Amino acid sequence: MNGFDTIIYEKKDSIAFVTLNRPQLLNAYNIKMRDELYQALTAIKDDSEVRVVIFSGARDRAFCAGADLTEFLTAPTPIIARQARWERDIWGVFLSLPQPLIAALHGYVLGSGIEIALCCDLRFASEDARFGLPETGIGIMPAAGGTQTLPRIIGRAKTLEMLLAGIWLDAQQAYCLGLVNRIVPRHDLLPTTHRVAQKIATYSPLVVRWAKQAIRRGMDLPLLHGLEMERKLATLALTTINTDGGEP
Amino acid sequence: MSYHYLLYELTESVASITLNRRETGNIINEELAQELRDICRQINEDETIRAIVITGAGTEAFCLGNELEHYSLSQRNTSLSVTEAENLIARYSLSPAITNISCPIVAAINGNAFGQGLELVLSCDIRIASNTASFGFPNITCGLLPIDGGTQRLPRLIGKGKSLEILLTGETVNAKEALEMGLVNKIVPPGELTSAVDQIVKKIKKKAPIALKYAKEAVIKGLDLTLEQGLRLEADLYFLLHTTRDRTEGITAFREKRPPNFEGK
Repeated sequence: MNGFDTIIYEKKDSIAFVTLNRPQLLNAYNIKMRDELYQALTAIKDDSEVRVVIFSGARDRAFCAGADLTEFLTAPTPIIARQARWERDIWGVFLSLPQPLIAALHGYVLGSGIEIALCCDLRFASEDARFGLPETGIGIMPAAGGTQTLPRIIGRAKTLEMLLAGIWLDAQQAYCLGLVNRIVPRHDLLPTTHRVAQKIATYSPLVVRWAKQAIRRGMDLPLLHGLEMERKLATLALTTINTDGGEP
Repeated sequence: MSYHYLLYELTESVASITLNRRETGNIINEELAQELRDICRQINEDETIRAIVITGAGTEAFCLGNELEHYSLSQRNTSLSVTEAENLIARYSLSPAITNISCPIVAAINGNAFGQGLELVLSCDIRIASNTASFGFPNITCGLLPIDGGTQRLPRLIGKGKSLEILLTGETVNAKEALEMGLVNKIVPPGELTSAVDQIVKKIKKKAPIALKYAKEAVIKGLDLTLEQGLRLEADLYFLLHTTRDRTEGITAFREKRPPNFEGK
């Protein structure tokens, strides 16, 4: 799966690396990146060798500074644009990946950048990371799930402040709000992310998927239904022989 | 009634439960689970009980999990059938019995709480911890999932982001981190745990018992409802309290500038 222009996809020892790769444009998300991510993610989804996925941004300045505005105002009609959104539901694919996804965040994490990070399960940031939702300032609103995923992580009040008043968060503030799990020095960002991914990759891949599912789906259910799901998954885990911590 | 793996005391309408397998880190076995479920049922039938405190014996551990988590690897050379696994989980399950208790439950976390030990903590209402305690779900490292509500109650308390980290990495958090993320309400030096818990219990005992039960129900049930339904539940419970003698007593005592004498009626 080489030959992408806007992303780099690599697979090493059961860990997949997806690097957003338009560094001259702060890794801005465009239609081509959407299509390439769609291709890479749908492949990852069905690839049982991949146990953990790491998302990062190429070069020094940004994880992803948002959508590429040069492509805006080009869609033929709202009808067709909306149709395309659901025909290539990249965000739906993101949220449906069964493996744990880890975002390694540095520099600008804006707009779609923050929304990509929010589709991930763990978020690690370097000290220079900056987070913001600039959409309303240019007359649009987040549409990659941000209005739903962000308040579910940092709460309603801060989300509204970011969205309505356009405030940005630095890495420390993002950490205090639980938007990122850890802050590490810039040179340590990828090594730390990789280390955690390797650790998770040593666990039973099926049980790891079930643990992710228990939390992500459980949070959308009433507690009693969540507990029922947990019990079913825990039963499955118990019936799975796994003596070496590896493949069940 | 006496118990083998638990200490149970009822003093001045406060029930104290101590997991008492100090030599194993207060690990839950099937018998302990059965005893704890029995106590919960007994507590529910006793209207004089105003508060419950759960703690672990010794200073090292609150509870390091259950036997399933500890001995699973050697025992799981052969796979269990679904029915066997279901039965096994049912024999260890505790949180339904604990969360069925209507009065406030305080966890006095004297040491490490791992696996089902942490799930026990999550089933309580107020959590006070020794600053030496650590918390975690090592289950994933031996191919197991929490069985007693951990994957559901942890994110509801500390959020999805941190919960996924704790569950997927199997790493532990220390008391200070636990306090910062809201996993525990307060941390104190080990020598001050008992008095810190006593202070909370004393405050609880000054309040009207039925009002406490309803307030607890409104918060816990309300979180599962839409805001509109939650507001409806809150108002319904509020007006039900109009029928209690304690409400009249509370308001009268306030007007007469004296402490109220609540009877739980």
